[in-house]
Amino acid sequence: MAIDLLNVRFHYPQQPNHEVLNIPLWTLPVGEQVFIHGPSGGGKSTLLSVLSGLLIPDEGQVSIFGQRLDQMPNRRRNQFRANHIGYVFQQFNLIPYLNALDNIQLASRFAQRKKAPVLLGDIKKLLTDLNISASDWHKPARALSIGQQQRVAIARALINKPELLIADEPTSSLDPFNKEAFMALLMSMVSENGISLVFVSHDLSLSHYFNRVESLNVINRCGDSP
Amino acid sequence: MFAKLALQSLLDRKGSVVLSLMAMTVSIFVLLGVEHIRHQTKENFSNTVSGVDLVVGARTGSLNLLLYSIFRIGAPTNNISWETYEAIASNAKVKWAVPLSLGDSHKGFRVLGTTGDYFDYFSYANQQHLNFAKGQAFHQVFDVVLGAQVAKKLGYQLGDKLALAHGIAATSFSLHDDRPFTVVGILAPTGTPVDQTLHVSLQGLEAIHIDWQQGVKMPGSTITQAELEKAKLQPKSVTALILGLESKMTTFRVQRAINQYKQEPLLAILPGVALSELWQMMGVIENTLLLVSALVFIAACLGVSAMLLSSIRERQHEIQLLRVIGAPAYFLFFLIELEALFIALLSCVLGAGLLSVCLVFLQNYLLGHFGLHIGSNFLTGNNLSLMLAVICASVLVAIIPALSGYRQARIVKR
Ligand SMILES: Nc1ncnc2c1ncn2[C@@H]1O[C@H](COP(=O)(O)OP(=O)(O)O)[C@@H](O)[C@H]1O
Ligand SMILES: [Mg+2]
Repeated sequence: MAIDLLNVRFHYPQQPNHEVLNIPLWTLPVGEQVFIHGPSGGGKSTLLSVLSGLLIPDEGQVSIFGQRLDQMPNRRRNQFRANHIGYVFQQFNLIPYLNALDNIQLASRFAQRKKAPVLLGDIKKLLTDLNISASDWHKPARALSIGQQQRVAIARALINKPELLIADEPTSSLDPFNKEAFMALLMSMVSENGISLVFVSHDLSLSHYFNRVESLNVINRCGDSP
Repeated sequence: MFAKLALQSLLDRKGSVVLSLMAMTVSIFVLLGVEHIRHQTKENFSNTVSGVDLVVGARTGSLNLLLYSIFRIGAPTNNISWETYEAIASNAKVKWAVPLSLGDSHKGFRVLGTTGDYFDYFSYANQQHLNFAKGQAFHQVFDVVLGAQVAKKLGYQLGDKLALAHGIAATSFSLHDDRPFTVVGILAPTGTPVDQTLHVSLQGLEAIHIDWQQGVKMPGSTITQAELEKAKLQPKSVTALILGLESKMTTFRVQRAINQYKQEPLLAILPGVALSELWQMMGVIENTLLLVSALVFIAACLGVSAMLLSSIRERQHEIQLLRVIGAPAYFLFFLIELEALFIALLSCVLGAGLLSVCLVFLQNYLLGHFGLHIGSNFLTGNNLSLMLAVICASVLVAIIPALSGYRQARIVKR
């Protein structure tokens, strides 16, 4: 399994009485892509933070590719995230003052690749595949359009050849045209490389890109009895 | 890559970074400057005289004697008689004795009456003897030998004629202008008060005072040059003596003997001891200065830290992003420290650069006005370790924002 959640419960320490996640069981097979939808504030981002090990659940097991994230020491968890998990957000995906190449290179520095080290050539190829023209490679990220930034973000997320990609409403700040282009690119990259994908959004119109579509309310017991 | 990240992040916040960089640069400039000048003046002071075992004068404070005999600062209170000089000079333990006579000036520079021995025996710094840049020692009654600064400032050449003034004020009106002196020698620069001095023979001083009484020129005096040369120009008293002894072992014994001299109340001092007393007095002022500049520096450090601290709030997204791509929380600690380090390093380079430019311009001024010879090479071991301390201090103070960055990195927000 790519993801295996068992009896996961989570609340933010600031809000002790408000449980955000309560997931008895949820799994994602390796290589599968899932679309999870739910209203804003429903706990989608929180779930993704738990999946990437940025948040540790109060109870339960979080296994990613068979590794128990909740039991890893901090160091290993950071390393694991860098090596195995790619992340794309709605915005703020890039360090604004670094250019596209540097942003991607920075991400590769935190990963410990047993495979070949990431070469500039790989980055350039990836950027070309994602339709970023060479003239934009050296511009600071903030000088790129939102559509370009999101595509660079895919490159950033994929540079360490992660087995799992996590996307948190990555299209919400894109116009319809860019949204379709982004989705097409993302889905082709993911299926080409056999990457497992967890894609969350409140925008149900995107569900046609996925075979598996779920509602967070079904996965998460907390939504039932607020 | 991480250095690049820190640098680019600093560049991205140019405005506030440049301001705190400037504060830091100025404070490092002040700190290095004070420390350098402190060091150099100390060296200057201890270089002023060497190879002189004892300085002898009429009884007064030892600092006072040192100041007027060696530094040419202040006025002697009393003279010592010629007989006393002869008695001391003929002492078997005394290798050489050179008389010094002070009290006249030329355009603000002091005039020293002495003997030709002065040029052979007086030494400064590491037993360096006086050298003539041009010409030679005085031989005639109206010969004068100029210190390097005197010649440079007043533009005198060999053969020029000049009149001495009675008293030591720069604007003294009572000129001995009827008996001009001829420049026969110019000394090489020493970086000591010697550079600010005009040297004449004791006889020369006698000659210009011969028809003066109680500091007032006698009216109707008509002694001619020829008569003067013939007159016996034997001085009756001198201001001070400098002594070299046959053996250093006898220094304290000779000193005690002179201090207990029956015929006249005398004071003999060891110049090294008096110099360190003088240095201790100066030290209080200089330590205060150093303390103030250290405080200014700490204020600048805190300024940098405040800047970094406020930047952390603006950089929340950046910090989260770094975490998401696998940066451990302590990475943020080191990133902020690295930024503080860059600011400190750059400020050190800029502060040091500013100081060397200023020293080049100030050097002549300090030498001309205070006789302070301040070298422009301040990158001595002392100052390098000061810079190292400065860098360590700023890294230490940056722990505050660095910890805040670390804490920020541990909170997950999305
Ligand atoms: N950093 C945080 N600290 C405290 N509460 C949070 C934090 N982030 C989200 N929450 C709360 O958790 C709940 C779920 O939020 P979130 O996971 O962001 O939902 P979604 O991504 O579906 O909009 C909300 O009630 C929100 O107020
Ligand atoms: Mg969200």
